[in-house]
Amino acid sequence: MKWLLALVFVVCGCAPKAVEPPGSVAGQVKFAGQVAKAVVIDMEQDPQCKKLYPEAPREEQTVVVGPEGTLANVFVYVKSGLEGKKFEAPKTAVKIDQKGCWFEPRVTGMQAGQALQVTNSDPVTHNIHPEAKVNREWNQSQAPEDGPLSRKFVQPEVMIRVKCNVHKWMRSWIGVVEHPFFAVTGGDGGFEFKDLPVGTYKLVAWHEKLGQQENTLVVTSGVKARLDFSFNGQ
Amino acid sequence: MKYLALVALTLCSCKQKLVEVPGPLGLPPLRVERVATADEIALGKKLFFDTKLSIDKTISCASCHNPETGFADARKVSVGVGGKTGKRNAPTVLNAAYWRVQFWDGRAGSLEEQAAGPMGNELEMNHKPELLMARLAADPEYGPMKLTLERVLFAIASYERTLLSGNSAFDRYTYGGDKTALSSEAIEGFKVFGRHCVICHTIGPKDALFTDEQFHNIGVGVNAEGVLVDQGRGKGEFRTPSLRNVARTAPYMHDGSLKTLKQVVDFYVGGGNSNDHLDSQIRPLDLSGRERDALVAFLESLNGVEAK
Repeated sequence: MKWLLALVFVVCGCAPKAVEPPGSVAGQVKFAGQVAKAVVIDMEQDPQCKKLYPEAPREEQTVVVGPEGTLANVFVYVKSGLEGKKFEAPKTAVKIDQKGCWFEPRVTGMQAGQALQVTNSDPVTHNIHPEAKVNREWNQSQAPEDGPLSRKFVQPEVMIRVKCNVHKWMRSWIGVVEHPFFAVTGGDGGFEFKDLPVGTYKLVAWHEKLGQQENTLVVTSGVKARLDFSFNGQ
Repeated sequence: MKYLALVALTLCSCKQKLVEVPGPLGLPPLRVERVATADEIALGKKLFFDTKLSIDKTISCASCHNPETGFADARKVSVGVGGKTGKRNAPTVLNAAYWRVQFWDGRAGSLEEQAAGPMGNELEMNHKPELLMARLAADPEYGPMKLTLERVLFAIASYERTLLSGNSAFDRYTYGGDKTALSSEAIEGFKVFGRHCVICHTIGPKDALFTDEQFHNIGVGVNAEGVLVDQGRGKGEFRTPSLRNVARTAPYMHDGSLKTLKQVVDFYVGGGNSNDHLDSQIRPLDLSGRERDALVAFLESLNGVEAK
């Protein structure tokens, strides 16, 4: 009997540790300050761009706030806690379109090694120029009716500012991370990372004008954690 | 190869002093080894427009260097025998007599050598020299002339040496003393041109070829890795084309990828396409919309008049 008990102990002690089911996190980004007036964009550099807005000139609102104070265009991502884990880059490309002499979307998240596909839907030439510091900086001209161009960023880099060398008002941002736990908030300010392995993480919410915030989060098995961010506009 | 050897022989054997032929307003005197006779030029013109030069009698020099479109090809890339296409846009023959070297990559040293290129190229006329000469010898029009390949090439080149095009609005303004020849917008564009473009598209005190006759990598035609699909002379460099008659010779760039002068201006404003060997002089230009339009107006003033 003693032998048997001893054996059971040994077996239990040596058995491979079962992987705990992951947890998840969801949250919302809010804005508590005063929203500045939108800036009217002068498209004098290219009259053909100007013509695309016959009714009224395009306005730029960098702080996009929903009716309930939710903040859009925030890049939320896991900054640390996933070290040593490998995540294969998705086979599908992330897309940026140049439309209305504007980058769509304003903020893009992608995985290192994933393809970025850039299209030009405008009747004018654009020259997309991601000002990468960690990755290789490049710029590429795209005439009207040119086909999509495809590029990759191989290293994580948050954030890469993107400009158009032909139209100085055009701006966009790309966040490149090594894993799939990132999101760009929409009008509801919400984000959710499903299937996040159990562990302790640092999450960052980044906004092009309001800066960034960092929070620590403990993810436990099978539990949906909640983490909100709030920017006050200072 | 036989064509090339023959041309080389022709060039080496001629050591006489070059003869200067005056150029039209805005162009320098043309230096030639020998002034062709009227008959030789007429023969060259006949050959230039004759589809018998190609293996299947469908393509002449003028098929791709079409006088209707400034002796250039309005297609992105030219179409040779059997519908075959190359990878480069056919440059204009106008003023080609001035170039030190021919082709986008400068691989021919004379117009004679250039003329031999498309004849033998399987994507263009695909005609072996011995077959071509046999065809011409048996032809009732050419047979009695007892032509040699050397005479054929000299005749074509001599006709091309008559295709000089100066006396543009720019020339009349700059070299002809006519201050009304350019619009105020074109004059503004001339100033912008002088600040940015003239480094490679040169303008001299007495005349202007609008080319430094050098080779530059400006990043046209990069792939997803940022590498040029066509490496030109070796590191993506191509010959600076003259800008004379540029408004008549769309599309643009070595691969014919840009359709309008506005697109060309915007390409340069954007700083081309980055790549490992981009010319250091290519960088984004800070030009207002007005300056961009003025630049196009200036380029449109470079349409010349062909000398009679």
